[in-house]
Amino acid sequence: MTRPANPLKYIPSLAASHLRHEWILTFCLVIALAAVIAPLLVLLGLKYGTIQTLRERLVEDPVFREIRPSQTREFSPQWFEELSVWPGVGFYTPTILPLSSVISVVHGGSNSAELIDLIPTAAGDPLLLENGGVVPADGEVVLSAEAARRCGVQSGEDIISRVTRSRGGRMDFVEERLRVVSVLSPRAGSLARVYAPLPFVLDVEGYKEGYAAPSRGWAGETPQPYPSFDGAILLLPHPMLPIARSGLVINTGFGRITDVSAERVKELLGFSPPHGFGAYDLLAPGTPVTMTNLRAIDQKLRGQTRVLLPYVRGVTIESGGKSLSPIGLSLTSEQAQLLGVPETPWGGYTGNSPEDGRLVHTLWPEGETSADEMHVRASGIAELQFDLRVIGTTSFGRPVVPIELMGILRTASQRAISFNQKTQRFEMARGGYRGFRLYAESIDDVPQLYYKLKAEGIEVIAEVEAIERIRVLDQGLTRLFWLIALLGLFGGTAVLVSSLYAAVERRRRDLGVLRLLGFSRLHVFFFPIAQGLMVAILGLLAGFGGYAALAWVINHAFATELAPGEAFCVIPSQYIPVFCFVTLVLAGLASLVAGWRATCIDPAEAIREQ
Amino acid sequence: MVRLEDIVKRRSQSESVFELQVPSFAVHPGQMVAVIGESGCGKSTLLDMIALVMEPTEVARFEISTGNTGGVCDVAALWARGDEGALSALRRDFFGYVLQTGGLLPFLSVRQNICLPGRIKGHPILPGRVGTLAKRLGVAGCLDRMPESLSIGQRQRVAIVRALAHQPRLVLADEPTAAVDKARARAIMDDMQRLAEDESVAVVVVTHDVDLIMDRVEVAYTFDTIEVSEQLTRSTCRLVKEHSP
Repeated sequence: MTRPANPLKYIPSLAASHLRHEWILTFCLVIALAAVIAPLLVLLGLKYGTIQTLRERLVEDPVFREIRPSQTREFSPQWFEELSVWPGVGFYTPTILPLSSVISVVHGGSNSAELIDLIPTAAGDPLLLENGGVVPADGEVVLSAEAARRCGVQSGEDIISRVTRSRGGRMDFVEERLRVVSVLSPRAGSLARVYAPLPFVLDVEGYKEGYAAPSRGWAGETPQPYPSFDGAILLLPHPMLPIARSGLVINTGFGRITDVSAERVKELLGFSPPHGFGAYDLLAPGTPVTMTNLRAIDQKLRGQTRVLLPYVRGVTIESGGKSLSPIGLSLTSEQAQLLGVPETPWGGYTGNSPEDGRLVHTLWPEGETSADEMHVRASGIAELQFDLRVIGTTSFGRPVVPIELMGILRTASQRAISFNQKTQRFEMARGGYRGFRLYAESIDDVPQLYYKLKAEGIEVIAEVEAIERIRVLDQGLTRLFWLIALLGLFGGTAVLVSSLYAAVERRRRDLGVLRLLGFSRLHVFFFPIAQGLMVAILGLLAGFGGYAALAWVINHAFATELAPGEAFCVIPSQYIPVFCFVTLVLAGLASLVAGWRATCIDPAEAIREQ
Repeated sequence: MVRLEDIVKRRSQSESVFELQVPSFAVHPGQMVAVIGESGCGKSTLLDMIALVMEPTEVARFEISTGNTGGVCDVAALWARGDEGALSALRRDFFGYVLQTGGLLPFLSVRQNICLPGRIKGHPILPGRVGTLAKRLGVAGCLDRMPESLSIGQRQRVAIVRALAHQPRLVLADEPTAAVDKARARAIMDDMQRLAEDESVAVVVVTHDVDLIMDRVEVAYTFDTIEVSEQLTRSTCRLVKEHSP
């Protein structure tokens, strides 16, 4: 006959009717709550708004995200690979030695050249992108405002960049026409700078160090590794007079010439000099012997029958788990004939490396292997791995390889060299970079990157202080906000507790009637709670209304200080539900006392009225 | 329908103790029962106990038969268990109340007041029924007004409508005419009696006005009060009338 009774669902509407009936009291209560809520919201808005404005002003300028090394030191490519996965790294590019990065810039018709620093850049460079620039492609550059002023160029015009070097007392230079794709705003820095893609900057650096850049048609040394030696053995059919001997090394780069025993020659070259020959050791203590030194000696002995053989000591290779000390020897057939030893299939030493893969040919001791190729490893700055082609045998008891190969392996112990399997050539591996340009993803990432780099022993400079200052201010304001919020919290809760409690006391009889009509203790318990929540919701609405009005006034009053889109008083939207939720929870808690009081009302009181 | 046997309620107030003894009290369906006595004799205490809002101190038997099927609810057991929810449910399902000044909720309109017991019972009162009942008691014009704007007589009539509208089995009326003059009291009492008969609802009226009630009821109870000692006052409920006129 009846649906299951659920009196509880009528409590909210009864509570609402009660509030509406006593609307003046309700209004006062709502205003009291709003008077607590609105100032808190304004305070929160001011705290957030000012901090946000200060932060955004920092965030806007990439300078505050920059971390730059304060010392020049070497950073390996591997180090940059590690850096790229560090959290908080927004952009980085390696840079070169500051001295190598100055180029002359000539504009159009004028002959005057400006010396300007060349800075590498790459895709995503915030310094360029956030200062009105674009990232230049190959053949393009971006100029700083000062550089553009000095050169008198504008975006869209061409400049001629001139890279100079001095080689052996001679001045070389190359020129490259580059298009200025944009000029940065003065905010990007007051120095004259040319920003160009990293590969171009590296080519400039290489050219200045004497290397060629074939792709740009810049002449110079190939980046092939040069062989270097520990010394040379000079073999003469007739021993030299002492006076000729001491004159021989003058101005050749060699420091000393000494007699050398037949055993020593055999150890270094694999064979003993023929009987009656004079054997001399040419030494350059402390410096490597190069092609130039050998040529100088050769010049002085012109017209004489002689054999000059460079040698390398102490270079070992590893093959099949065995350590070998190969003999480096390159002999022409004439030399071989003169010395009475077999000639080497790769020819004599000319200063140029044997071509067509003959650089990695070898003669293997008889009977020690039947393989055509021997995979070998050599240690150095970077480990080298390559295959030696066995093209014959030797009776020297140790493998014989071209002296040029030994020279390169010696160089590899001082500079990084790699073996290119495809071209069968050795190549100079790029050494490290001399610095970097690093931008953190956000200003909040700057301190941790700053301290992480410092922990690696890298001295860096960053605007950590400006960022920390804002953080400290934020912390201070947050603490202040919480103090005032706590005060408001107590006030607001006290207002609610007392008002709701008073309402229960005032309405004892009505609550008693409700009990009599069939509401249980639990049901009337929710009567003040529903009222507390309703008052809180109304208070929130009024509070947010008051906040909105005040925030508008504040933001308009300070409009002249603010850039468009900035505001001194603003609450992030994600705070609003949290604020509302906390208020409602507090209102619910505040009404618990009144709720408990309501349950104590005896329905008999309603009957016993007056 | 309601049966009480050997119930004692003891209330102590500072030094003195008041003891109400009810050897036997019963209300049968459709019956109109009067509880008569001077103030302080314990008639309100008896009503509180019947209204399930006061726990008896000692009880031999306290039953309410719930509905026509003959199911009996042991109120004594509910009190012993402290089952407040079940007592509340009994109150809203089987009782209607008319209090001294009506006991209307001031924050609800007359119509909302009348409909409230039905709503919380889960058995909404049809609008037609509200209109019919109001018309019979002459308060049809007051339905959309707030209680505070009504005269006391109107409030009592509205309270009677509210007590009956949700079709309870028993209406408890506590001095329903205490606040009005004799002539109006007679009229209100007539209305209530007529309505209760039509709806076949039992009524328990508590009053001190013997003249007003005696010729209307089939059963009447009164109290004998004796001062046993300086501290103890004992009042015993006694049947004074059964099945006359």
